Amino acid sequence: MTTAGGEQSGVDLKRFNEVFFEECAENLAQMEQILISLGDREPDQEQMNAIFRAAHSIKGGAGIFGFDDMTVVTHVMESLLDRLRNHEIVFAPGMIDLFLEAGDAIAMQLAGHRDGKPVHQEAIDQVRARLQQTIDGDTTQAPASPVSQTQTQAPPEGGLPTSYRLAFTPEPEIFMRRVRMESIIAELADLAEAGTFRCEARLAELPDFAGFDPECCITRWEFALVSRATRDQLADVFMFVADEDQLRIEEHPAERRSQVQDPPSEPALPVEGRRAYDRNETAPGAFGRRGGEAESTFRVNVTKVDQLVNQVGELLITQAMLSQVAGGLDPILHQSLQRGLAQLERNTRDLQASVMSIRLVPISIVFNRFPRLVREIAAKLGKQVELKTSGDSTELDRGLIEKISDPLTHLVRNALDHGLESPEKRTATGKNPVGTLQLSASQVGGRIVIDVIDDGAGLPREKILAKATENGITCSETMSDEEVWQLIFAPGFSTASEITDLSGRGVGMDVVLKNVQAIGGRVQIASEVGKGVRVTISLPLTLAILDGLSVAVGGEKFIVPLNVVIESLQPKAEQLKTVNGREVVQVRGEYLPILKLHSIFNLETEVTEPCRGILVLVEADGERGAVMVDALLDEQQVVVKSIETNYRRVEGSAGATILGDGRVALILDLPELFSMHRQL
Amino acid sequence: MQQTAQNSSEQQGVAQAASEYLTFTLGSESYGIDILKVQEIRGYDCVTRIANTPPFIKGVINLRGVIVPIVDLRIKFNVGEATYHEFTVVIIINVLGKVVGIVVDGVSDVVALPRESIKPAPELGASLDTRYITGLGTLNDQMLILVDIEKLIGSDELQIVDSAADNSQSEVVNQ
Repeated sequence: MTTAGGEQSGVDLKRFNEVFFEECAENLAQMEQILISLGDREPDQEQMNAIFRAAHSIKGGAGIFGFDDMTVVTHVMESLLDRLRNHEIVFAPGMIDLFLEAGDAIAMQLAGHRDGKPVHQEAIDQVRARLQQTIDGDTTQAPASPVSQTQTQAPPEGGLPTSYRLAFTPEPEIFMRRVRMESIIAELADLAEAGTFRCEARLAELPDFAGFDPECCITRWEFALVSRATRDQLADVFMFVADEDQLRIEEHPAERRSQVQDPPSEPALPVEGRRAYDRNETAPGAFGRRGGEAESTFRVNVTKVDQLVNQVGELLITQAMLSQVAGGLDPILHQSLQRGLAQLERNTRDLQASVMSIRLVPISIVFNRFPRLVREIAAKLGKQVELKTSGDSTELDRGLIEKISDPLTHLVRNALDHGLESPEKRTATGKNPVGTLQLSASQVGGRIVIDVIDDGAGLPREKILAKATENGITCSETMSDEEVWQLIFAPGFSTASEITDLSGRGVGMDVVLKNVQAIGGRVQIASEVGKGVRVTISLPLTLAILDGLSVAVGGEKFIVPLNVVIESLQPKAEQLKTVNGREVVQVRGEYLPILKLHSIFNLETEVTEPCRGILVLVEADGERGAVMVDALLDEQQVVVKSIETNYRRVEGSAGATILGDGRVALILDLPELFSMHRQL
Repeated sequence: MQQTAQNSSEQQGVAQAASEYLTFTLGSESYGIDILKVQEIRGYDCVTRIANTPPFIKGVINLRGVIVPIVDLRIKFNVGEATYHEFTVVIIINVLGKVVGIVVDGVSDVVALPRESIKPAPELGASLDTRYITGLGTLNDQMLILVDIEKLIGSDELQIVDSAADNSQSEVVNQ
């Protein structure tokens, strides 16, 4: 149905394009997910319908929004699927890959339209040709089918003309969905034999003038025509427009075709055949334009949500301010005030949680990419892998989702390449030849924990130590396992004996660590020889709020992000040394540079000696140091604010926050502080 | 482009019969800025210092949840005495998409200046560089120095806008 193109409708469809792009991406993802889950099995009817539905929605959307090139591949694909579904073509395992490739081609076209990325037309033509080939190759063998090929533009094959009566009762909101009746009528007229098409519009229940809504459809349409087209073809005209209960098609036996099963006297004929999938439609979003869905979800601009999050942040600060003021009042005299404030605190926390939850999306968005990746990599490596995922519905911040997918991909590749052994090796060690890779997500307290677990050979301790020594990374035989595992996060570290195109170039784990730390996360590794490796990523729930340690330096307050803090201590004089005139502190055999915040930030303070202050040991980007502050104040959750909105970047800070007393405090950026310290 | 845009806005300003200015004092001199650029006026308190910034950047404040930098024009232009007490005034201005607070000695009035009363600025006379002065106005026999606050805030001198942005701006001007 390539009817209401952008030019024709006279309405600028551009702003709706984004919706189509999103829907299309969703449909592609859904299709891929189903295809991957099949392995090489033949899809059952339901899965087949779901794939068909996805392809069909893409095609329909592309047509409506005027991306005609995208309809080409989807069209052939749909034809093939249709034949598979009707058992006109025998399923072959190779088709799954073909469909996946077709999906890629469509994704490429989508990217071309959305982001202006280059589109390789040859690749698309190739996929299309192969799909067509599959159809043609099989139809020659398949028994002649009574069902016509639905989407052919040429007049349908020589069925005898039949007289039809159609009644279409649209829902009132039909115009909101940008349905244009004139194009439907034109399409029907094309199917009709010359001179037989008749169309009648009936007004049902005309409301009084006050209740009249021009956007509301109160018309009921009746069509009569003689056509060679099958009933299904007529139903197809209404594919995106009508639910089955809104369309009634009657075949009149006046002419031939007396083999009709349903007598015409039966009033509501169900639409048969290819529209069956509509009946058991369960997948949400498959027909995104359906009216009923509008109530359950709707799309909101992200900036609006961010604004809401900001405003709730303000509310939290105000509430903290009030609590602080009230703390100084006599609790007996101001009992009701205190009670009210406690209530306010509860309410603001609840509100904050609800608002934050708007930004949350299920991690399945990331997990869903992996089945295909695992399948492809495993095939390339000749390994047998079963991918298990759990906690798919665990939710985390949208912003985090985008940033966690690369590190996770890295970890999955690593696990497949280095972790899991080849089937022969596994059998030799008495393991199941099929390796298991498990992705699981869960929420633990205020953090999201993602595990990547493989049941492979485990990390080779000796090899890592040897490699570390070779690369000049400080290490020793006496290190604990945990410390040894941390070595693989060092830049340039790789134990893979040979470099594959999957991993082994040594840009793996340090990038993972850096990316995870950039979003306030931590990475932990547990490994057991012969049993496998578990990499655990723990992330904050959201980027907008940060767990911080507030510290005081010379009358100013700073926030140290809690995820970089190891411990804090008050050093003894004998722990302090100088190296090249720079002060260091010795903590358990390690010498850490002392970063004096007051000298980095040019602040005046009475505490200039490390013995009188407190050292906060931090680790960021693999670098350790001791930040010297006057005092530790509090551990608190802070709302991250940008300084750059109204000012330039401030060196050594990763943003700012507003404290309970209304003052601004800078959040420290440790990697930058380290480099500032070196320049001092 | 930037320049032509500024020129045209100046021309518009000239074309109007009268514009309103917020007048303030720095030391013994009276200055005026376009009232439309002013967001609000507030007192000076709770400024968080920022390290390694020039002395006239006093730091940042929390303006109802927005972090706003504070510039003390008295220090920048070496006029008056940079003292801070309960009567110290901060003018919050909104230019170039940024909200910035400027500390002045005092805010006097809002005046409407007819176009013909604004004279071009001579090369000398004010503590402020002539580049940032759009003209001199006369009000009750008192001279008013009219400041192009947008140009001043966007200038390299104040270092409020990031240097990257500065570069692009100067490139445009060069062209």
